[in-house]
This record gives sequence, structure tokens and C-alpha cells, in this order.
Amino acid sequence: MVTREDVENIALLSKLFVPEEELDGLTESMQKIVDFADAINNAPASDEDFDNINNLSNVFREDEVVPSFPAEEILKNAPEQAEQHFLVRNRE
Amino acid sequence: MKYELVSGFETHIELQTKTKIFCGCTTQFGGEPNTHCCPVCIGLPGTLPVLNREVVRFAIRAGLAVHGEIAEIAKMDRKNYCYPDLSKAYQISQLYAPLIIGGYVELSNGRKIRLHHIHIEEDAGKLIHQHGDTYVDYNRGGVPLIEIVSEPDIRSIDEAKEYVEKLQQVMRYIGVSDCKMQEGSMRCDVNISVRPAGSEAFGTRTEIKNMNSINNIAKAMEYEYDRQVDLIESGGKVVQETLRYDDATGTTSSMRSKEDAHDYRYFRDPDLVTINISRDEVEELRAQLPELPADKCRRYIDELGIPEKDAALLTKYRRISEFFDAAIEGVKSPKTVSNFIIGQMFRRTETEDDKEKFEVGITPQMLGELVKLLDSGKIRNNLAKSTLEKMLDSGKGALEFISESDMGGVDDNALLELCQNAIAGNAKAVADFKGGKEKALKALVGNVMKNSRGKADAQAAEAKIKALILGE
Amino acid sequence: MGTIAKIHDMLVGREVSCTELTQQYLGAIESANGELNAYVTVTPDEAMKTAAAVDQKLAAGEEIGMLEGVPMTLKDNMSTKGIETTCCSKILTGYKPIYDATVWEILKSQNSVLLGKTNMDEFAMGSSCENSCFGGAMNPFDTAHVAGGSSGGGASAVGGNLAAFALGSDTGGSIRQPASFCGVVGLKPTYGAVSRYGLIAYASSLDQIGPIAKSVEDASLVFDAIAKQDKRDSTSKGGGNTYASLQNDIKGMKIGIAREYLDGVRDDVREAVLAAAEVYKSLGAEIICFDLPILKFALPVYYIIACAEASSNLGRYDGIRYGYKTAQYNGTHDMICRTRSEGFGEEVKRRILLGTYVLSAGYYDAYYKKAQNLRGTIISAFNKAFEQCDVILAPTVPMTAFEKGHATSDPIETYLTDICTVPVNIAGLPAVSVPCGFNAKGMPIGMQLIGRSFGEATILNAAYRWQQAAPEKFTDTKWGVKL
Ligand SMILES: [Mg+2]
Ligand SMILES: [Zn+2]
Repeated sequence: MVTREDVENIALLSKLFVPEEELDGLTESMQKIVDFADAINNAPASDEDFDNINNLSNVFREDEVVPSFPAEEILKNAPEQAEQHFLVRNRE
Repeated sequence: MKYELVSGFETHIELQTKTKIFCGCTTQFGGEPNTHCCPVCIGLPGTLPVLNREVVRFAIRAGLAVHGEIAEIAKMDRKNYCYPDLSKAYQISQLYAPLIIGGYVELSNGRKIRLHHIHIEEDAGKLIHQHGDTYVDYNRGGVPLIEIVSEPDIRSIDEAKEYVEKLQQVMRYIGVSDCKMQEGSMRCDVNISVRPAGSEAFGTRTEIKNMNSINNIAKAMEYEYDRQVDLIESGGKVVQETLRYDDATGTTSSMRSKEDAHDYRYFRDPDLVTINISRDEVEELRAQLPELPADKCRRYIDELGIPEKDAALLTKYRRISEFFDAAIEGVKSPKTVSNFIIGQMFRRTETEDDKEKFEVGITPQMLGELVKLLDSGKIRNNLAKSTLEKMLDSGKGALEFISESDMGGVDDNALLELCQNAIAGNAKAVADFKGGKEKALKALVGNVMKNSRGKADAQAAEAKIKALILGE
Repeated sequence: MGTIAKIHDMLVGREVSCTELTQQYLGAIESANGELNAYVTVTPDEAMKTAAAVDQKLAAGEEIGMLEGVPMTLKDNMSTKGIETTCCSKILTGYKPIYDATVWEILKSQNSVLLGKTNMDEFAMGSSCENSCFGGAMNPFDTAHVAGGSSGGGASAVGGNLAAFALGSDTGGSIRQPASFCGVVGLKPTYGAVSRYGLIAYASSLDQIGPIAKSVEDASLVFDAIAKQDKRDSTSKGGGNTYASLQNDIKGMKIGIAREYLDGVRDDVREAVLAAAEVYKSLGAEIICFDLPILKFALPVYYIIACAEASSNLGRYDGIRYGYKTAQYNGTHDMICRTRSEGFGEEVKRRILLGTYVLSAGYYDAYYKKAQNLRGTIISAFNKAFEQCDVILAPTVPMTAFEKGHATSDPIETYLTDICTVPVNIAGLPAVSVPCGFNAKGMPIGMQLIGRSFGEATILNAAYRWQQAAPEKFTDTKWGVKL
């Protein structure tokens, strides 16, 4: 059972706002999707263990320095920046 | 009622690999903001992590040094939380299959603080808050960390301090980290609860986040212990929460805000594959480990006859113990070497940093030569001491300051003459001694020592003077 | 038909210069894109620069590779340095990557001519391409119908001859489904065959880049070029080498049909697929029927895993480092929440919420863990099936392209269109969708050939033989460049 509180909680975790007036509708639609996902509970129990698709292991890189990018490239797409930092300006 | 403190630590330690955990950027401390960054460590869409092999090896070394069990299979998980210092909104860490299981740190009182596990993970970037604005620098983002999670086995603030010091010591010894708390390369989250003495059940715990000095750990724990005891005694209840310690006020306060509902939603990171650790590799890494401080300390006590307290001092810093090991080469009395190091040489290395580096200007072989002269009776203790000072000042060997004649010692005839001169020139001291003042004898011996430039054997001189005065 | 081989021959034979050819494609985009909406960014400068380089080589008498000078396009979720890459989401507007995706690096080094970036459902979440912030891509067979999704733009561009081939990405059918709708060939490679580095993640353990092309031969050529192990993608193994065996005889090849794949499939689609099976029989293949009952759990397993991974992958869009940032806010938390709420579309938000839900405390075991467990079961079931057969034949989509705006507002109903495509993503297997007929309205029907892990050579071989046997199913549209 998906409750309004569940939806509020997962919205907070997801960093999404759900306007008060949409909460009931969203709760209902989440319930539908969760019911749909619940179908897996009818699946036979199995002890199949899934690790990763091709059962790969030990893929590493060596500890060798690769030149970093210039800060100006790193910051190129920043919506706001100052003093070579990404910036979240206080807008209050 | 008497209360007992119960504490467990989560200790983050930055590893001294050359590069970050998932990209080739340098791990160097400092640097202009956002200059140690690439698309991977700032989490640009589409980038993928590739694990630095050396991080795994460093973590295994750390695990072996604290007697942990190295897992055969380890996996990387994502810990999801959204915060501006975390460029991907998840930290790649380990929960379900960490690299190291168990282990312990043994304290000087013989108690073992058990470890739950050690895992590897990435560090976050740095936030600077100014006038409500937030500046973000990702240079630290992606620097490899190990997190050492202890069981709640710590029972006092002294134990807590020693636990941190021991971890610091051993991690520095094996070269996995410099453990500089002031630079953030070692940080502790302290879990703390109290319970009536004798009780087995645990009380509700609080967690003090991100402590970056041993002093503050002690102060914060003391405050928190008192706070919890007061709360319980006044009929209140401890609330499980995350706290921050304010250095200025010496108090803890809640970090919780409605914005951080904590549910990390850990799951296996699909971008990284399984880590298999062969027993061969573990053994290879074990063989490369230096002698660990605890083993060294035991050996100094048992085999070299160094007093326990001194052995602990000598082994606290790896460089010092290595200096000692090299200096005692061929020396009859390692204890003399130890005394010189702990005495005169420690006085010149005041700070922790100095001791860590232990750059004293002379080689351990130079100290060894000096002690050998003393061992063979060629020089006396006072001369050795003053010579060491000169050596430390100049960086030159003992023979630069000690002449052939100095090393001859003082023969019996010369000693007799020196004693007679001392008696003749110090009538008052002689009279005092005769009057029963034992101390007056010291002045006479001092005179002999001074006139022999420290070469005379003080004990022999004392005996001789006594005999002369008492007419024996 | 503007296939790669044809273009290559024309360039080498100096029938057309690469510059002229590129101009033709750019001109066709200019005139057709208003209706097809296949491209969201056109890159004439980039294209003409490469074309000139190819012409120079040709003028110097140098040999050129098969993909050299071939006009093509990338889905807008592949990183292209300096070229806007948006995933067709408002939240990435204006984002110009500072690095190239590995697939683009490979194709660029082979002088493929990038015409632009193609339309998609936002963050590859959708089956109609209508979840794009640029509006949906349309079907070149009939623009009243959708191109399908999520790689709808690529399928529309190739079907409409606005590119010789496209790279798409397939998480739950996003290459095969639009390929099927638009009457072209779409290959979803084995997980790990093609590097994901630079592919903006939807669901990391399911995503795979692959070609959308006009012919099986073209799909094979492109796949062989891009299927390389990449040290920047820990999950990549490489693959390729399918071209050499395309023409192999398929006599004795065992083609399996799992009944579950035909359940709930529209009659015209089922008939077309079964007719293809008959053709295979006539080519000497053996048809084997069996059950794969576990497949009925594939769809919920897919949605749980995909949404869980997506909720994590999409956490990074916070308005700090790149992309959209809200204008009005009160503090960092508020800024992040507003940016995300304004920047993501409805379907993306729905999947983030579901993903967060199935991973959250108290639900992880019942959903995510259980789904991972079933994933193992589904993989074993496929492994068993492949003990009996070499290839599994199935419809690609239970229906043909729906009409514009018809993709309902009911998410579950929409999810059901993925029912035939998601199982291979769960199992990491390769599958190719090829045209296999038309419905009464003339809209294309697709069938997929599913192979063993890294068995691309086998399925492309089977697909090639099909194309040889039934060339009339591979028809061209009225749009674009005619060669
Ligand atoms: Mg941690
Ligand atoms: Zn980096």
C-alpha cells in the first residue's frame, strides 16, 4: 500500500517537489505501478545469484597520473561560477 | 548511579595513492580549485569509473596491519544521497561485500577494540560557505578512502584517544596514509552511548560527525557523555541522532534538518565489476609489510631490554624506530641508544610532524659510533652527552669533537692526583662531608669531573675521594 | 537505397564527392526535418569539415574505409565534445560536453560524417519518442504515426534517408522498437560489446549502444566498427567480427520460437513472424518451439531494475555543474528540488520516484533484490533455451507504430509495448530487429532474432539470409536522399 507519506518521503529522497494538489493523484498512480511491480512476488523462488551480466571481475586501471582538465573546461557548463568554483548563490 | 561510556568509531583515512580511486587525476593535497578534476570525477553525464588497482592493494595492507580477514570477493555499491559536494549524487562505497572483515586494534591495557570491517570508497569535494553562497571545489572528490568501522568496544576517552593514535601509527607505518587530521586525511565519526555500569545492554547512541583532531574527540566525547548522563538522570531519553561538535563552544548540536531524510538506498554499482582477491596476492602483500609497531615494541622489550614506556616511545613513529634499529647495529647496549634518542634527540623534535619526519641531522650510524665509544669505556657519559649536542648542531660525527687524548680515559695515577687536588682546593666541602653532609661529596666529584673534562669515571672518583678523606 | 556499401562505391568511384553528398543530406534534413523531427541538433560545420577531409584523401588517391565519408547521426544521449547533448531533456539544455563518447571517438577517427544529434524520449525513457522536450519524431512511413522510442529520431532519420545510419541506445528495446516501427534494421548488441563511455546513463546494467541501419549488412559493418573493448568502461569486453560470416549458409540452423513471445501479440504481427519462420524453414533452418514461462516476469523485473538504476543515475542533475538551473530559489536544497522538478518531464520523474521507492529501506528486499534474483533465473532460462536452438525468433513489438498522441497516459499500458524487447536487456543478450512485413495500413512490422551472449555473428547471419530471401520487406520511404 503506497501512502501519501511514502510519496512525500520518496519525493524528498529524489529531491523532487510534489505540489500538494498533485499528491493524491501521484499516490494513486504510484500504487498502480507498484501493483504492477508486485507481480514478481508470484515468481518462483530461486537461489539463482546474479552478479554482473558477463560475470566480469578484476577490471582495474594502474595508479598512473593522467593530466587533469583545465579548470576552465571543468567549469565550462556551470550555470554559475565564481573564483574558479562552482557556485550556488544565495538568492534569498 | 555510575555510568559506563560505550563508543565505536568510523574512521575515514585517505590513501596515499598517486591517483584518485576511479580516474587518473592526482590526489595531491591543495592545488588551485577544480584543477585536479576531469569528466569522471566531476560526474559528467556518461562518464564511468574504473577502479585503481593500487587502492585495493593499499586497503589490503591496511586490513592485514589490523589483523583483518581479506575477503575473497568484494563488490562496489552506490550510497545515494544528494549534496553539492558529491558530484554524482552517490558515493561509490561498499556495503554488501566489503574488502576486509573483522580485525582489531590492541590497546596498551591489553584490550582489543574489534573492527567490524574496512571498506574502500571515494571522498567528496569541498564546500565553502560564504555569506550564504556555496562554493564547490571537486579537487578532493574521488580521492580514495578506507573507512575503518569498529565495534562499540571503546569504554573510555583514554581508550578512544589511544585507539585513534594506534590507527594513525599503524597506517603511517605501512605507508598507506599520512593520517593528518588537520588536513582531513584522517577523520572520525564517533558513536557514543552510556549505560549503567555493569549493564550489558546498549543505550541509545548518538553520532558525532567529522572529528578532525584527537583533542576535539576527547572534548566532544566528554561533553556528550555528560550530556547523556544528565539527560538520563533527569528522567529524559537520549535521541538517536547525528551531531556536530562546535569547537568554539565545546558543545554538540543536532545536524538534522528536514532536508536530509537519510536513506542511502545502497545497491550494487552496475558500472563496476567484482573484485576477486587471490590468496597469493594477499600473501605477497603480507610479506611486503614492514614489522608492525606492536611487534616491534614487544621485540624491543623482550629482546633488547628496553623499558616498556621507552619502547612505546621509540615505536610510535616509524622513522624513529628505523633510526633506532640502524643505530643499534653492533652496539652492546641498545638501551643507551634509546636513552640518547628519547632524551636529547626528542628535545630537538618537538612537534608531531618533526617526530614523524625525524630529520635530526646525523645518521643512525653516527649515533651508533658514539655509543660504541661509550660502550668500550673510551669515553664517559658526560662527554658523550655533550658530544651528541655538538653532533646534532653540526651534523658531524663524534670523532670531530673527541681527541685521542679524550679517549684515553683517566688512569689511576691521574685520578688520584685529580682527587687530591679536589680535596686540597675545597676545604669547606671536605669539612662538610666530615660533618656528615653526604652531599658535599658531590661537589668534590664534580670538581674532578670538571678538571678531567668529563673523562674521569665519576663512581671511581667518588670512591677514591671518600677513601682519601676518611684516611682509608 | 542509400546503404553504406552504395555510398562507399559512389565515393570511391568518384560519382559524387563527399562534400556534395553531405550537402545533399543536409539539404534533405533542412526540408524534411520540419515534419519528421528526427534531428534535434544539426551539425553542418562538423559534417562539412569531415567531408572536406575525406574528399582530400580521395583526391590524393588514398584508400578510404567503409564508414569513411558516410553521413550518419548519433542519438542525443551520446557525448559529443562541443556539440550540445541534451538527452532531449530541459534539464540538460545548453550542455556541451567537454569529451567525446568512445563510439563517437571511434567513428570520428574513421571520418564518418556527423550530420547531427537525433531525437529521443527524454533520458531514453519511453516507447514513442513523444517524451522528448523537442516534441516527438515522426514515422517516415506515415507522419501521423510515431517513430517509436526511445531512439525514434535515429530510426526516423534512417527510415527517412536523412542519414545512412544512426547510433541508438537500447535499454529495454529503444533501438529495436523504433527500428521495427520505421521499417529499418536495429541491432541491440550483447551487453559489454560496445563501450558505454560517454553514453548518458539511463539504466547502467541494461544500456547498450547499437546501430540503426537500412540493411543487415550496414548494421554489421557499423557494429564491427564500434564493438571494441574500452579501458574506460569496466563492463566492456568488445565483440565484432560479424561481417565475415554474414553470408554463411543457415542450413541446419536451429531457430527457436518461445510461445510466450507470441502471447498478446496483435494478429498481423504474429502472422508476419510465423510467415518468416516458414521462409527460414524453406532456407533449411529447423524451427523448434518451446516455452519460456519465466518471461512473464520480465517486464516488472525490467522496470524495477531500470528505474532503480535511473533514480541513482539521474541524481546528479542538480543545477550546479551543468545544464538547467532554476531562476528563483531559497537555499541550496530548494534550488536542487526546483531545478529537478522544473527540468525533468513527467515520465522521468515517475521513474525516478519508482526507482527510489524500490531501493528504499523496507522495500529493497521485496523489489530490487527479488528482481535481481529473477534476473539470474531469466538468464539461466535463456541459457537453457540456447541449448536447443541457435537463435530465438520473436516479434519486436506486439503492434505496429501507433498514431501520434495515442501513446496513452496510462503508464502501465505504455510499458506493455516493451514486453517483447526487455527480456534480452535483462539477460544481456544480442538481438536484431528486421522488417518482416506490413500491416493493412502499410505500416512496417518487425521481428527480432535473439542470440547467445556475444552471438551477434549468428543473428546477423540469420538476418542477412532473411533479407536476401525477402527483400520486399525492406522498402524505402519517400523521404530524403535518393541514391
Ligand atoms: Mg563512509
Ligand atoms: Zn578525475
